[in-house]
Order: sequence, then C-alpha cells, then structure tokens
Amino acid sequence: MITAKTALRRQNKAQRIERVGKLARGKFVSPDKVPEILRRIIEPGDILCLEGDNQKQADFLANQLATLENKDLRDIHLVMSCITLPAHIELFKKGMIKQVDFCYAGPQGGAVADLVKAKKFPVGAIHTYNELYARYYIDLTPRVALIAAAQADRKGNLFLAANTEETPAIVEPTAFSDGIVFAQVNEIVDKLPRIDIPADQVDLVVQAPYPMHLQALFTRDPAAITDVQVLMAMVALRGIYEKYEVQSLNHGVGFNTAAIELLLPTYGERLGLKGKICKYWMVNPLPTLIPAIESGWVESVFAVGGEVGMERYTAARSDVFFTGRDGSFHSNRAMGQLAGHYAIDMFIGASLQIDINGNSSTVSKNRITGFGGAPNMGCQPTGRRHPTKAWLKAGAEANPGPGSPPGRKLVVQMVETFQAGRVPTFVEELDATDPSIRKALHGVTPVMIYGDDVTHVVTEEGIANLAACRSIAERQAAIRAVAGYTPVGLKRKKRETEDLRARGIVQLPEDVGVRPSEASRSLLATQDIKGLVRWSNGLYDPPSQFVDW
Amino acid sequence: MEKFAKAFPSKPLPSKTAKPWALAGVVGSGNLEVLVERGGRPTDTMQCHVETSIPGYKASWLAALADFAHHYPAGGTKVTINDQGAPPVLVNLRLRQAYDHLTKGDK
Repeated sequence: MITAKTALRRQNKAQRIERVGKLARGKFVSPDKVPEILRRIIEPGDILCLEGDNQKQADFLANQLATLENKDLRDIHLVMSCITLPAHIELFKKGMIKQVDFCYAGPQGGAVADLVKAKKFPVGAIHTYNELYARYYIDLTPRVALIAAAQADRKGNLFLAANTEETPAIVEPTAFSDGIVFAQVNEIVDKLPRIDIPADQVDLVVQAPYPMHLQALFTRDPAAITDVQVLMAMVALRGIYEKYEVQSLNHGVGFNTAAIELLLPTYGERLGLKGKICKYWMVNPLPTLIPAIESGWVESVFAVGGEVGMERYTAARSDVFFTGRDGSFHSNRAMGQLAGHYAIDMFIGASLQIDINGNSSTVSKNRITGFGGAPNMGCQPTGRRHPTKAWLKAGAEANPGPGSPPGRKLVVQMVETFQAGRVPTFVEELDATDPSIRKALHGVTPVMIYGDDVTHVVTEEGIANLAACRSIAERQAAIRAVAGYTPVGLKRKKRETEDLRARGIVQLPEDVGVRPSEASRSLLATQDIKGLVRWSNGLYDPPSQFVDW
Repeated sequence: MEKFAKAFPSKPLPSKTAKPWALAGVVGSGNLEVLVERGGRPTDTMQCHVETSIPGYKASWLAALADFAHHYPAGGTKVTINDQGAPPVLVNLRLRQAYDHLTKGDK
C-alpha cells in the first residue's frame, strides 16, 4: 500500500536539496561553496560514494570533503573503488568514517596499513570492482555520490570523454533511489560532444578549479622491457597463445604482457599466428598495442578506462576502438569487467606473490592494496555457456567431472621468480595470511587470484600447467618446478620435475620451441616510446614523464 | 666479491658444435657475462668458475648450474661467469644463450 511513509526517502532528498538553498543557482554551484554544500547534503549514517578508481578521480570534491571536520560530518559509511588520494586518508584520520567498503588502495596502500594498525580503518570488506558495483544495487546503495565528468552543459547533462570508467555504475543506483548525484566537471559548455549521463540523473554541478586527476596507468615504456621478459613473452606466445588459439583476451598492466604485445608484429608474424590469435581485446588503450593494431592483428578493443595520450589515436582508429558519434573514445568499467569475466578466452597478468598452491596476492603487512578488477577476469566464470576453441581445449585438459563445465577460461599468472631487490615472488605462505590483516578483514585472507582458478604459471624457467595437475601435491610440485632459485623452487625434487616434464605439465622454453638465444629486446616491434609515436603516425601523445626527446 | 669453482656431472656435448666458444651477456652493472668453451676435461663434467660482485648466493648459483648441467648435454665444457649483480632471473637465460650459440651458432 502506498502511504506517506513510502515517500519518506524522496522527501528526505527534497529536504537536503532545499537546505542547499541559495548556495546553488539551479544545479550549479561555485567552487568556494562546495564544503558548506557537502555539509548540508550529507547526513550522519549516510552511505557516501566517492568516485575514484585507479585512473580517474573526483579529486576536487574529495579534497573539499576533507576540509570538513568531524562535527560537520560523522558516522559516514564510505563506499568507493579506490582509496588513492591523501584526502581520502584524511577522512579516516578525522574520524568521520564508521565503515568503508572498497576495492583497491594503490598508492595509499602504506597509509591504509598504518590506519589498520592504529585501528582507524573500520573496513567492511575489500571487493573486486564489479562486486562493489553490484552491491550499489543491493545493500550499499549510495545516498550521496560525488562524481567526476569532463563537461556539463547548461542543463546538467554530462560528457565523460575517454574516461567514462565507473561513473554510470555509481550514478544509476544513486539516481534511481532518490540519492543525490553531485558532479565536478572540468568545464561547462553550451553543447556537449555526446551525452553520457542525462541531466535528470544529476542534482548538483560544480566547475572544478582544476581538471580531474587522471593517472596514466597503462603506459609501459618499451625501453624498460628486459631480455628475460622477452623470453617469457616468447614462451607464453608459443606455449599458450598458439597452443590454445587464444582469440579474445585481457592483458594486465605489467611489462611482461607489454612484451607480448610488441612481439606480435615480429615474432608472432613469423610464427604465422596473425589472424589466429589476439583478435578481440578487453583492455585499456595500451600504447604498446599500437604496433599490433597497425599491423592488422586486432579486430576490436573494449576498455574499462581511457589512457592519457591515446585520445587522438583511438579516435583515428574507431574501426578498432569503441567511440561515440563524435569519434571520441568510450570506456565503461562495469561492462568491461563483465566482458572480461564472461567473454574472453584468457586473462593473463602478473602478481607480487604466489604461494605453493597458486594463490596470489599484492597485500603485505606494510601495504594493504586490495584487488581492483583482476579477480573479475582472473577467475572461472561458471555461468559461462558459450564454447570457443580455447575454452574447450583448456577444459578438456582439466579433465572435468560429470558435474563440471566442459570448458575453462585460461587464467595465466606470468611472473619472474624474483621481484626487484632479489625478493622472491614464490613463497610458501602469502604475507596476506598475516593474522592482523585477516582480523581486520573479518577472517578473509585477501587473495587476488585463487590457485584453483589459475590454469598456467609462466616464469623465466618455463610453464606450469596447473589445470592439468591431478592432485594438490602435483600442483605444488609443478609450481616449485618453475619457481627457479627461490626458496620455494630450491625445494623441488628432480624426479618429480622430470615426471611432470615428461607429461607436458612442466615445459621449459625449448619444449615449446623457443630458442633462448633469440630472446632479446631487438625482437620487439619498437624499443622505445618514440617508436610507438612513429607506429601511430604521430597520433599518440605520450604523457610528458615518458618523453625524453 | 665472491669466487668459487665446481664441476657438475653432465652428458657429453655433441661431438660437433657450431663454434669452439660462445659468449652471452656483457659485464656491466646489473648484467653478467657467460663464456662457454669446449675442450674441457673430463668430457662428462661441466666445469664452472663463478665470480660475482654480490656475495652470499653461492647455494643458488650451484643449484642453477647443477640444473643446467642436468638438463643439457654440457659435458666437456668450461663455463666462466663474470657477474656484476645481475638479477637472478637473468642467469639461466644467459647460460642458455651461450650454450645455444656454442652448439647451434649465432643465427
């Protein structure tokens, strides 16, 4: 029955907007009024969403929020993808936050670990991106969302430009539940190139005095790729891409996969793999993918976010990238993660630590980072039903039982056995199992990719096919076999390794037809950023920190 | 600085190799040089000399060399390694590259 009570939430929103009063002209507010407006529209106990992932940040609104004090703002349930700005940490230090639910803490990982130790970080859970977006529609629906857009028009329609990212995933649940959507924009214009968020889902708009923060996260300088990474890339190409005919895929942000991208037009071409592999990508517009695109390898690329400097190139290659009618690049984090979950043959990425069961983590006692999106893609989607060659082949190898899906996504961890500073990548037990971390996370160990989901581990020593292992003991032996000369690797037994190699579960570079003497940087399609600019016909504009000419 | 030498059992080299000796890598900071020569005696051991600027990793070096001698027929070779703090992951690659050059030539 519809009563006055059912309209309470809508009334409450109206009251909040009313409190803003003359501080706004229609939807538009001036930057200096923002702290006071935030004080008036946010109530104690609110679920407050701050937009910000690992690339794009509503940093002006976050900075204004952090100027408030505990008396202005308290008992806030903060929900946000990425805790990346000093302003975010400030909210905790000031004691405004009663609970936080998030995904990733990248550059603030050290500060988060300190807050945990000081018991000032009341965390609900660390999520993966789509998991958190999903909860925005269930039990974490924001009352107020502070978001970022490139442009607004006079009605409050928003243009999100290349970095659409997670804005729609925040705005929809907020706007359709009588929440308040407050957008910072870089500029206000008469006519937008395209409308990404309609004005009737936007309550307040401020033109920020500085443009929103964008992080160039996926730019890898080919000059920093090593011979060892070239070797691993060759091994992965032959032992996995070629073997399974991987057509659709996601690459992580590391140099290992950048090496693969740069080998496609050279080594890959020589192997006759063009048109057979790497046609459909769910990945951000990686500058290191330019040579492969220009050589005709790539059919399409859908992205969770943009990449600084790739705007003109992606507009020119709208036959490959998803773009608006105006030609400008389009991304969508939630849909991209969904695509990476269900619709790709392979996820391949790196990690800081892998244990003997194949679990990986980027969390240590002194740095609590979290997950981001990798686990959405680096997992077995048991809701998948459509077959592809790679999926069926990997599935058959895993010898599925009568109650299992016939196929498997390839989930590949590609790591060097040691990190910088001779720190072993392979460990008996993850740092993430530390009791204080587990306690802060209500008993959950923050595992990035679970060993059960991993099909292959690639190191400079070779490939371990975990999916083909028939027991936990065998999986551990396979991991030790490729763990090199780390303490985990030194514990391997010669006979076990030989048995696994004879069965093709462990493969050395020469077992997959790779000649180590060829593993050299000279095999890359280009050796530096300047070369990427050349490949793009001058359309790639690298961020200044990557320009040395 | 640390220096050590050890011989490892290994199946004899193929009777014909492309070259009498081969070199991989360079002596430079964060890199290493591996020289592999044929003509060592006896023909069922791989004789190794290691000189490294970073002490304390002898066990890892010996394990890597033992594995190499086990995987590849390298008996009758002399392996001389000059290391200037190369990352551990590079050692095996340079060994394999030098061996590959020795047995199959540079191309």
